[in-house]
Amino acid sequence: MSGDILLVIVVGTALAFDFTNGFHDTANVVATSISTRAIGPKQAVAFASLLNFIGAFISLKVATTIAKGFVDTSAVTTTVVFCGLVGAIAWNVITWYFGLPSSSSHALIGGLVGSVVAASGWSAVNGGGILDNLIVPAIIAPIIAFVAAGGSILLVYRIVGRLRPGPVSRGFRLGELASGGLLALSHGTNDAQKTMGVITLALIANGNISGSSFHVPDWVVVTSATAISLGTFTGGWRIIKTLGTRIISMDPAQGFAAQGAGAAVILAASSVGYPLSTTHVISGGIMGAGAAKRFSAVRWGVAGNIVTAWIMTLPAAALLGGMVYGVTTLFGNGVAGPIVVTIVLLAGLAATFARRLQHAQPAPTTP
Amino acid sequence: MIRAAIDTTALLKMVYSSLLASVVVAVVFSTALLGAIRASDMRRAGRGITATAYAVLAAVGVLIASGVIVYGLVLIARKS
Repeated sequence: MSGDILLVIVVGTALAFDFTNGFHDTANVVATSISTRAIGPKQAVAFASLLNFIGAFISLKVATTIAKGFVDTSAVTTTVVFCGLVGAIAWNVITWYFGLPSSSSHALIGGLVGSVVAASGWSAVNGGGILDNLIVPAIIAPIIAFVAAGGSILLVYRIVGRLRPGPVSRGFRLGELASGGLLALSHGTNDAQKTMGVITLALIANGNISGSSFHVPDWVVVTSATAISLGTFTGGWRIIKTLGTRIISMDPAQGFAAQGAGAAVILAASSVGYPLSTTHVISGGIMGAGAAKRFSAVRWGVAGNIVTAWIMTLPAAALLGGMVYGVTTLFGNGVAGPIVVTIVLLAGLAATFARRLQHAQPAPTTP
Repeated sequence: MIRAAIDTTALLKMVYSSLLASVVVAVVFSTALLGAIRASDMRRAGRGITATAYAVLAAVGVLIASGVIVYGLVLIARKS
């Protein structure tokens, strides 16, 4: 009975993480379209939310990687999954509060690894899996997006460079609706699956699913898709501003190239099961589109701050996941620890949101 | 040892398919845009046949770009 209560708490926490993931990553999906005035902020967020939901149903390969690729499943208990999730949520909220576009995906994997290490030691961590499925793709994917967006924009300028700028901009704004839609779809495909993987891991740990016959139940797919979609709809204006205008000022052609490259990289990664960070990828695309036009157009200082946040995410979330595991097990191995931690987490979230709302900036509007 | 831990086939597949897809879609869409804008210019200049040729270029470009996107999505959905 206490195992089932704990499972309910874990599923609720995983869906809350999924919500914060959508909330946190809204910027990645819509910032470019908004900053180039291809679409209004409210319409962009609603459009992205819908496509996030649809995207979650496209593939399940990333969910499999999350559930089986990073830690020894026999060392995972529902408490471990819970603590990893809380560590990831805490890191997401901290970076959201300070307006840093870190990676929700790396926060999730970092939190999970930290929690597993605290519970069973380093031997339960699949170092090769982390290197193969997380670190190498995390380094390579933004570089591909950078090169693809940069190469694309150079070719685009060669093709449309001698045309009247007005119709060209209008055309690329239209194109951005498609590339932005694809980016939202790819975000739903890659990111919603991370929550599906974590919930499935908890179901295996609780004995609801056999580890040998791995599959993601339909209700997990539907609830994860709904949570990320609602999170995206709620939005995160603070990070939208950082990504959309502070890295570079873009024209619609650059926005189209950046979004198209980002979507292509995320979809290609999803098809081979890599849990990528959409933040990393779209930032790489934006920088590539900017640097190809004029290297100095990219505000490299801001880009450097973003890279620092990326590098910090995995160890910081792991540390938080490990700390949460330590605190949770102070109350024993039952449900008391997770209940206390959930109450503290909810109180912390309420206080953070209240504080942010006090200093909130109004949502940007298109003229 | 590090090389053994990395699935280079999957990694390379991600690299070439994403590079190819983004560049092809950008080039084809830009060509479609070129066709649409030139078609409009030619129509205004009274050059009907050239305008039609550019309009066909625009339509073919949009069709190819849409086709590449749909094909990619179907491929991903079918493989999972």
